[in-house]
Amino acid sequence: MHHGNHFYGHAHVLAGYCGLDPASPPRIDGYLQHGWNVVDGLGGGTPYAPGSTIFVWSERTRRRAWSMNRPLATVIGAPFLYLLRSEPPAPRAGLRSESDHTSPREGEREGTIWYPFHGWEGQQVSGDHHRLIDEITATESGPITFCLYWNEFEDRRIRALYERAGRVVCHGYRGYMRMRTDPDFLRGQLAELRRHRRVASNRLSTAVFYGVAAGCEPAVYGDPMYLDKEDTPTADRIRREWPELHGAAPDPETARKIVLAELGDGHLATPAELRAILGWAA
Amino acid sequence: MIRMIGGEMPEYAEEHPPAGGVLLRHLLERLPTGIRVLVAGPHEPTLVDVLADRRDVTCLVRSQPDAAALPDVTVLCGTLSKLTDADRYDVVIALDGVGRLCSPEDTPLDWAESVRILARSLRPGGTLLLTVENELGVHRLVDTGAAASARTGDAWHALGDLNDVPGRPDRLAAALAAEGLPVSALAAAWPRPESPSLLVTPETLSHGPLDALAALAAAAVSPAYPGRPVLSDPRRLAATAVRRGIGAELAPAWLVVAQRAIRPGQAAVTLAPALFAGPSGTVTEVSGGSLPAGRVLEEWLLSAALGRDLPVLRRLLTGWMTELPMAGAGNVLVDGDRYALLDPAVPDQPDALARFAHTLLDGGYHHPWPGVTDVARLIAVLAGAAGIDTPPDTSGSDGPHGRREQEAQLSALRERLADAEERCRFFEIELEKREAELGRAKTQIAAFSGNLGYRAAKAGLVLARAARNRIRKGRS
Repeated sequence: MHHGNHFYGHAHVLAGYCGLDPASPPRIDGYLQHGWNVVDGLGGGTPYAPGSTIFVWSERTRRRAWSMNRPLATVIGAPFLYLLRSEPPAPRAGLRSESDHTSPREGEREGTIWYPFHGWEGQQVSGDHHRLIDEITATESGPITFCLYWNEFEDRRIRALYERAGRVVCHGYRGYMRMRTDPDFLRGQLAELRRHRRVASNRLSTAVFYGVAAGCEPAVYGDPMYLDKEDTPTADRIRREWPELHGAAPDPETARKIVLAELGDGHLATPAELRAILGWAA
Repeated sequence: MIRMIGGEMPEYAEEHPPAGGVLLRHLLERLPTGIRVLVAGPHEPTLVDVLADRRDVTCLVRSQPDAAALPDVTVLCGTLSKLTDADRYDVVIALDGVGRLCSPEDTPLDWAESVRILARSLRPGGTLLLTVENELGVHRLVDTGAAASARTGDAWHALGDLNDVPGRPDRLAAALAAEGLPVSALAAAWPRPESPSLLVTPETLSHGPLDALAALAAAAVSPAYPGRPVLSDPRRLAATAVRRGIGAELAPAWLVVAQRAIRPGQAAVTLAPALFAGPSGTVTEVSGGSLPAGRVLEEWLLSAALGRDLPVLRRLLTGWMTELPMAGAGNVLVDGDRYALLDPAVPDQPDALARFAHTLLDGGYHHPWPGVTDVARLIAVLAGAAGIDTPPDTSGSDGPHGRREQEAQLSALRERLADAEERCRFFEIELEKREAELGRAKTQIAAFSGNLGYRAAKAGLVLARAARNRIRKGRS
């Protein structure tokens, strides 16, 4: 339906989970929530076809969507959790095959993967990257991997700033209008997250949630920066609502509980159920 | 033998069904033999047959055609006030109540007056078996018609609920005691006053287990409205009343056993804590504590669906389909991880899951998959949630069709239609945008198809061909 369903290969992950060809997911009968948000599950500005289902991650989002006159929101859980189910972490030692380069063994985690707040096609982010990098290097004790969104990664000036302070990676392009979609986007992100002990960002955002779900300890600190024409009350609301997830070293157990609830852990559908929910029944 | 006693109705046959059914038959079979019995009001001929076995039976009916249809017993045909106390009986049975005992020839008698006349025909120590309809019973609350505006041939004196019938079991007992008829047993009756299939004593209703009793009430009410519209689903109303502790107060009727006693004696009839007749016709007597504990699966499923509690819903569906896949959700009690049948005599229901899908949709219940509005797809979702890979076929829906539920469906359909229309406009605008984009792309393609070199070569080729042709022409 909406091309956002293909962002980050979400539809592809779900198709694989459902036992269908992950390379060509069928049309989804509704909108998939493609990132963590504090509204109705749809990305800001997504044109909504009235009467369509929004497949949201959590019960809390569903309740919020209902209050926002989106009664058709349906909880299925985050596609990332479906991926985690089909890609359990490699065992601690010994059993890993030689060809497996993607999943490091548990216990091999090191350092921090740091996601600076990013812009996208429609909005650029503005802030002082120098100051942010200084704060990060002063806070983190281990090696730092900066994961830039493609938007900033392609900006050679910004990329160079981060390259001076650590390793810089990019998970790839999320895809747009079903073009250049990387169906392995999340898989790559998961593998990268599993290499790190900590996940951090200057905003509480999807990547932090994924990191915690993948076993990292979270941190949210540093200059939050701003998007062009951003609705700043929303950012403030997030800080007020989830103080437990903010700071240089939030309590990992509390954070994990909150994160799993936000991702819809415990609400994942069985493959047969998901097929019927998404309109993929044979 | 029919004896006309006056006030009989030669042309009129009762329009509504007489008192009857398996459960009443079960009770009457157990009356002592060798006694004199008066059966007052319309009762099924089979009941009279059962009584006539080794008992001296007299019937009192107002309708002459109905009198003729009764078995070969003494039949008094006429109106109640013509009943004399010349004959005294050991047991008087009025399981149709006292509402159909007077004919138009009689001055209309109220409830207390009618009971008084019946009591007079009891010998001292005799027993009265009386059904009293509850004007606020579930059957009335869901009725699409009002009793006060009845148009039937026997509604010449319809008072509706503006009469003097006691409205609560305790008041009923007090009223009968005041008439010299102390009550020795009383039970609330479902689903209809004249043909109960469930009797539960108020003591049982106050001590429980309420969940199992609520399920029995819902199961009793379920088949009582074939093809008849109701205001709202009587199953839910009956079950909720029982579970909330007002089951006896909202039961469709009360069946009382009272004695014209000088001193307390052995009652002719005792009532078990609960007594029910299942769909197969088996009557089960429940003694205290023998009902299984646990919560009724159907209600638990509905509450999990309403609360969008997906983990619980999936656990229940999976447990149900693993343990008792052939049992209707209303006949399963869940206690922790244990799934037990409420009434083992209920026949298997191979399409139980599909029926629950109908219950969800027809009842207008909120559920976690609001975008799924057709039953086949909802069945597939439920089957998937229950861990079944191949969804079962659709089935018929069961249960009465409530006006309230229909109203909810109507407004849901209106909403869906409005959404669909708006969605059409949305897609049209999207299409226009895409067509405009396509148009621009085509213009660009046309403008850039073939570069300058290609076009120059093409022009050169044309010129060369023309020159060659000219030369050939010159030669010829």
